[in-house]
Amino acid sequence: MDGLLILKMVLAALGAVVLYTFIGFIPGTDETSVLMPITLTVVLSGLEPIVVLTFFIAAIVTLNLTNAIPTVLVGLPGGVMSSPMMEYSLFLKDKGLSALAIKKMAAGSLIGTVVSIPVALLLAHILAPYGKNIQAFAPVMFFIGAIFLSLIGKNKILSLFSIIPLSILFMALRHLYWGTGVVPRDTNITTSFFLGITIGPLIVSLLSLLNRKSLETMKAESYKRVVIPGRSIAGSTLNPFKILKKSEMGKSFLAAFIANFPFVLSPVGLTVLLGEGISSREKDAVKKAETAIAVMGALIQATYLSGIIIPLIALGIPLSPVSIGPGSALFNAPPVFTVDKNLHHVLESWQFVFAILLGAIIALAITYYVTNRFAWEISTFVLKKIPHESIIGLFISLILLLSYMDAGLINVFGVLLIGIACGTLNKLGVSYGVQFMSLYAAPWIVEKLISF
Amino acid sequence: MEKKYTMVEIWGDVIRIKDLIVSVAISSIFTMAAYFLAPSNNRVRELFYGLLGAVLGFIVTNVLIKPKRVIVFEENLKGNKG
Repeated sequence: MDGLLILKMVLAALGAVVLYTFIGFIPGTDETSVLMPITLTVVLSGLEPIVVLTFFIAAIVTLNLTNAIPTVLVGLPGGVMSSPMMEYSLFLKDKGLSALAIKKMAAGSLIGTVVSIPVALLLAHILAPYGKNIQAFAPVMFFIGAIFLSLIGKNKILSLFSIIPLSILFMALRHLYWGTGVVPRDTNITTSFFLGITIGPLIVSLLSLLNRKSLETMKAESYKRVVIPGRSIAGSTLNPFKILKKSEMGKSFLAAFIANFPFVLSPVGLTVLLGEGISSREKDAVKKAETAIAVMGALIQATYLSGIIIPLIALGIPLSPVSIGPGSALFNAPPVFTVDKNLHHVLESWQFVFAILLGAIIALAITYYVTNRFAWEISTFVLKKIPHESIIGLFISLILLLSYMDAGLINVFGVLLIGIACGTLNKLGVSYGVQFMSLYAAPWIVEKLISF
Repeated sequence: MEKKYTMVEIWGDVIRIKDLIVSVAISSIFTMAAYFLAPSNNRVRELFYGLLGAVLGFIVTNVLIKPKRVIVFEENLKGNKG
């Protein structure tokens, strides 16, 4: 490993930190839709695999911490992962304790990262011998994964119903492209289909604007009122041992430790389940809210990190919600990565450890300091200067670009079709995870279907 | 005419439909124009140019469009805690 490569890794981590600090501070941006397209671009740009991994780890660590800032500070969730914190942040904000809440959340986040990385690495090491066996059954595993994610979700039967029709939609488009000669037979369009799923809910919302009736229900009378709380004095220490009480620290450790084992479950679901469970014993409402914020800060990092680290190192196929959603480009981004040849196959164990540690340490060190010191300044800047319209415009143009690059103009409309179908299902209650798994399982499902 | 000034709430924030159309149009045009300027046999270049276009488009829309948020600073009158 030469100096130039290490320099590239450091630069990739720094790039991820800067980019995702800003994105994190923007309220309402979904993790999957901000992580996946950009990671995909980084993969396709031809950077070394180890640099890509450093980038991704730095990106999720940064985003998980910064996403919680708008939640705690102004009561708008920064992303899906920070929504479990909403109730507690609003309560603390009401009590004028926002500054303290940010410190607790950041300290929890620090603990979550520090605890979960070694545990996830160890767990991956233990599971690795079984990985080869699981890989041989990859197509079936994706089908089982789709069923499993349906069954643990909120709308079980609805999700189960959607698996086969979705697979047919994806395969129908692929066969159309092969049949018309838009892409060669051995090319499986995947990436832009992924983006179609990701952007689905937004597409459906935008199209609803064209319907007079639904437009009426979405109308807003006035500008969005955002209250930024005053800066109470929460002490200037950055030492997490001083910010958190002993019990909060212990509970954050425990939560981050446990969260590694059920890595195939939804990270947001786990955060709610473990976060509420662990902090519910506290009787005093303020203490309970403070504990919950710290514990959830830890859980957000731990569930995300284990959800990507374990499948990457031990399995080589994306069998967790994090790896099949936000991290899917690390497993499958033709022509750079495929299910048979991705980060799992090209990196050695020590390279994984090195990239993960480097990415996490750089991201954590900077983001921890920045959120503690400049949360107000950055929030005010983003809320004052960055219009929501620009962000939506940016996303749409990224999807447009990547769809066109995959299979020309017809695929732009193909992805629009996927967006409409998947976005509608999403609004009905079929999670991203089920839809992504269906995309992976589609060739196998269709192959089996036609044999009956 | 009146539709021009309609504001709606999407993705947790308020936007003006006219501004959204302008933003999507500018971003898309910048992105795709940059993409087609790239040498057509080089995938990485094409992607890179496209992204650069997207970033430029983002900057332009940021200058043209104002956020639809009212920011209120709340002086901290309630009890502080160390």
